[in-house]
Amino acid sequence: MNRDAVMSFLSSLVVLAAGLLIGFIILLVSNASSAWEAFRTILTFGFSGIRNVGDVLLGATPIIMTGLSVAFAFKTGLFNIGATGQFAFGGLTAILIGHNFTGMPDGLRIVFALAAATAAGALWGAIPGLLKAFRNVHEVISCIMTNYIGMFLVTFLIDRYAFNPAVGKSLALPEGSNLPTLGFEHIFREEFLPGFYRVSRVNAGILIAIIAAVIIYIILEKTTFGYELKACGFNKDAAKYAGINQNRNIVASMMISGALAGLGGALLYTSGTEAMGASNVLLPYGFTGISVAFLGLNHPIGIIFSGSLVSYLFLGGARTQVMGFSIEVVEIVISVIIYFCAFVFLVKTFLGKHIGKLLRFKGDNA
Amino acid sequence: MYIIEMRNITKRFPGIIANDDVTLQLKKGEIHALLGENGAGKSTLMSVLFGLYRQEAGAIYKNGEPVQIQGPNDANRLGIGMVHQHFKLVHNFTVLENIVLGVETTKSGVLQIKEAREKVLALSKKYSFDIDIDKEVRHISVGMQQRVEILKMLYRENEILIFDEPTAVLTPQEIEALMRTMRNMAEEGKSILFITHKLDEIKLVADRCSVLRKGKMIGTINVAETTKEEMSEMMVGRKVLLSLDKEAANPKETILSVRNLTKKGKSGEKGSLKDISFDVKAGEILCVAGIEGNGQTELVYALTGLKNIDGGRVTMEGVDITKAKIRKRTETGISHIPEDRHRHGLVLEYSLAQNTILQTYYKPTHQSLGFLKAREIIAYANRLIERFDIRAGEGAETPARAMSGGNQQKVILAREIDRDPKLLIAVQPTRGLDVGAIEYIHRQLLAQRDSGKAVLLVSLELEEVMNVSDRILVMYEGEIVADVNPKDTTFQELGLYMSGAKRSEVAV
Amino acid sequence: MNMAIFYSIMHWAVYIMIPLIVVSLGGMFSEKSGVVNIALEGKMIMGAFAGTMFMYYVQNVWQIAMSPWLLLICTLIIATATGIVVSLAHAYASINLRANQVISGIAINMFAVAFAIYTARALTTAGSQHIHYRNVFRIDNVPLLHRIPILGPMLFQNTYFTSLLGIIILAVSAFVLYKTKFGLRLRACGEHPQAADSVGVSVTKMRYAGVILSGALAGMGGILYIVPIASAFSGSVAGYGFLALAVLIFGAWKPQRILFAAFFFGLMLSIASQFSAIPFLRDLGIHANFFRMTPYVATLIVLAFTSKNTAAPKAVGQPYDKGGR
Repeated sequence: MNRDAVMSFLSSLVVLAAGLLIGFIILLVSNASSAWEAFRTILTFGFSGIRNVGDVLLGATPIIMTGLSVAFAFKTGLFNIGATGQFAFGGLTAILIGHNFTGMPDGLRIVFALAAATAAGALWGAIPGLLKAFRNVHEVISCIMTNYIGMFLVTFLIDRYAFNPAVGKSLALPEGSNLPTLGFEHIFREEFLPGFYRVSRVNAGILIAIIAAVIIYIILEKTTFGYELKACGFNKDAAKYAGINQNRNIVASMMISGALAGLGGALLYTSGTEAMGASNVLLPYGFTGISVAFLGLNHPIGIIFSGSLVSYLFLGGARTQVMGFSIEVVEIVISVIIYFCAFVFLVKTFLGKHIGKLLRFKGDNA
Repeated sequence: MYIIEMRNITKRFPGIIANDDVTLQLKKGEIHALLGENGAGKSTLMSVLFGLYRQEAGAIYKNGEPVQIQGPNDANRLGIGMVHQHFKLVHNFTVLENIVLGVETTKSGVLQIKEAREKVLALSKKYSFDIDIDKEVRHISVGMQQRVEILKMLYRENEILIFDEPTAVLTPQEIEALMRTMRNMAEEGKSILFITHKLDEIKLVADRCSVLRKGKMIGTINVAETTKEEMSEMMVGRKVLLSLDKEAANPKETILSVRNLTKKGKSGEKGSLKDISFDVKAGEILCVAGIEGNGQTELVYALTGLKNIDGGRVTMEGVDITKAKIRKRTETGISHIPEDRHRHGLVLEYSLAQNTILQTYYKPTHQSLGFLKAREIIAYANRLIERFDIRAGEGAETPARAMSGGNQQKVILAREIDRDPKLLIAVQPTRGLDVGAIEYIHRQLLAQRDSGKAVLLVSLELEEVMNVSDRILVMYEGEIVADVNPKDTTFQELGLYMSGAKRSEVAV
Repeated sequence: MNMAIFYSIMHWAVYIMIPLIVVSLGGMFSEKSGVVNIALEGKMIMGAFAGTMFMYYVQNVWQIAMSPWLLLICTLIIATATGIVVSLAHAYASINLRANQVISGIAINMFAVAFAIYTARALTTAGSQHIHYRNVFRIDNVPLLHRIPILGPMLFQNTYFTSLLGIIILAVSAFVLYKTKFGLRLRACGEHPQAADSVGVSVTKMRYAGVILSGALAGMGGILYIVPIASAFSGSVAGYGFLALAVLIFGAWKPQRILFAAFFFGLMLSIASQFSAIPFLRDLGIHANFFRMTPYVATLIVLAFTSKNTAAPKAVGQPYDKGGR
């Protein structure tokens, strides 16, 4: 690993530690007596039992996908804060297909649902891409707009075609429309009474997310397409000099980014654990994806780990509810992490100055 | 007694001494020209006077009193105003708003624009500026914008006025008007410092002239007693020719042919190309010389396809490429060593190896079925490293950012030469490099010529121009004003062409 | 359509329009100074949170008898101050540290939601994220003025002091932006910071001022949003911060046009919220969400047609580099 990568990794850790520290302070302020207990829970609960590990992976699935979405766009010089809208479209598409194509064999239906969701996300991502490439509209602004437009459209469609008035959310999918669990239920379970198990709903989704990360890694690092995309992102003048078609790459990048988020939405709503809300609220997954992407250093493989880490923290945070805390403390931690990510380069430079010398010294001896 | 005296100023930037023990004395009521080639240190010296840079050594005196200038506010307090080369105007403010910005008259925070308006109108009338002060700046011509900058100084009642290459963006008529204005202001007792490299203008308007060369003050002369030729010589110096063993050129068939190339500039004259025609033949190095900003960049962009043109024709070996895309031009055999290696030439985040395939990554040698051939690419980069003696800490995997400027340039050179082009366009290929690297690059250019390539070299360095080229075109304000053989010309003559003091009939 | 429905739609349009105006004016000050502000939503949430929490404490915990006027004014001051504190985090990151202004904004938006809900749960006796307060601020009839035909029932019945305040802020903002030294310098920093710097204007100070103003107005906007339409705050301002950003773009960064844009958006949302009471719209069978998305679609269209020649401040989003030319 070269020095730059080491610095990046260290700065990620510093940012993470800063976020956790502020989370701890907030816990302390709100209830000093059980703060330490709650903090310990956040840090350890995800590993306290194999079922929790399963739940960490389950929770990581959608945010690995949105993390990949944000990171992919970022690597190519674009800031996709529209992942939440693309995610919603993907989820919606999977739900509608899961309900309406019941004539199809189960396996085929799932594949079709995932593929269609991916395409839906790509289409929704294409809008800011096209506007950026051909109308010079900044993608951050158009993503904000498409997020809300998407939210209203998706809510409308859920309301009209898949609404379950009993829970105020989308109808639960028929079991055959959900992702297979691949026997994970025999691994990620805990016996709480003899013969009775609490089972994690972790399923094929996490494998798909990991495969997606690997594919994205291959595209970015091993293909001419990735070479072009990154060249545009790093230095668009040099890309132009090399005869690379920037407009095409902007649209392609946003579509792939949208596709990843859309697939993420499908993986969430076909996991048999979530129903889509029918109220006009932006889904949090796209924004969590930003922190996952930056914590994972915008590296596809790093994102598998940062997504799991964030999911891990959320699981622990949820657990603190039994001590009278609420899960939002984890969201505060995440937001603080994102805030520090805004100047992560500064952290890196700082580390580079003070720790870099040390490392170099060691490196010379080795 | 001088109104401004800059004594023994030294200003360093990483790697270079921009001003080396420079002393400049400005008399009250004079127009004092500051002459020098690109990079001679004129702008740096003026930036020190205006408080944009702090000098490492030396001091500034006003009327004999030492003064500290830490920023534009200090300069303004001392009555020093500056018209920057790139105007500092807010495009959607009116002329009046731009003038009062920073020195607003207010009553409890509310702008009192009426007094200001009267004062500005009076000044505008006095100098017959004929300017609509309620128009937004973006809607007025560049010449008018310059008048706004002058009005800004007059409004602040500055008495020491710095003009940084004020005529570069103006039409001849506007230049004439500016010269008159400068004379008027000097007669009223204002003292003017005038940065330029145009000898005609100095002759026309300046009283005295100080010449800088490579950061050093060469001398100050009375303009009336000095010829243009003498000034030119002071500016360019008696250059010592580096010995570059060079056979006579043996030009063969025409490779690149340019006819009547025109492009309108974005703002006035700057960036325009006027009816440019020339040929580059196989086996010759044709050099485009000129002071920076006289259309060379635009010419190269037009040839390589980075920018569109308004008229004319470009052909490569008879094939019309006037409207061809960049990739297409590359494929016809044009290689391009760009002016700004960090902007166009390299992706700094990419490794050395990745940068060597920037123009060829899509060729079967470097990819199959869309996958990059990692091993072959590394091997290819290693071959280039060896052949061109590129030094990089981690070999082919070194991030381009971590390499020295000279080695970065070698990567570009290697990449562009190894593609075996028919035409090599090299724009300031030795800018900012040390002597060893410069010589290396010159030898490579010669080797290309000798192997039958056409080479188009764009250079600002006269030494390089005289040393390397077989034929010289001089550009001035978007036009080719001279087509000469280096053997038949001198530095002085080139200096005259470059500064617009002389032109010859150019035949294609 | 009977007049009662018409008046009701107009009332809601005004309720919605006022916070949009104030918050987008906040965004305007920030962007005119050169700092992108997508954290308006977060600042609104923090302002609404602090303000409603204050009302909750006065009314339910401390049980202080306070006149509605005084309570409202104190609440507004607290919300404004909270907005300022939050905006300092954004200012520090984007001006001093020259950080990515978009990331910083996203962080603040996320932080605000989480913090508001977390703290509400910790502080309210019910332990819920809803902060209830008694809404004692409605003015049923403005003396005399409510008798004006048509306009009277439209603007001077069932109204709130906050509406008047919003209009005053609009007028003052327009004046400050175009008629004062501060406004001139602020705009210069967003358009051409080097020019401002070259005539001795401190870009850093002006940008701080712009961001602080945006925090103040957005924080206040949180309360302006909550008071007319709800008697509880639940950790959300329903995306009004982003809507205000759309108003700002649709309004071309100009106060007069912001008024128009906010009214248009307010009308759309008002119709969306009440259209089941409007017979001819109900019969059309258009889902309310289509009215709700109109502002965003309209903004996207405006962007598509103006971005090549945008009205946005030229230097917005670029950290100021003294060396830059």
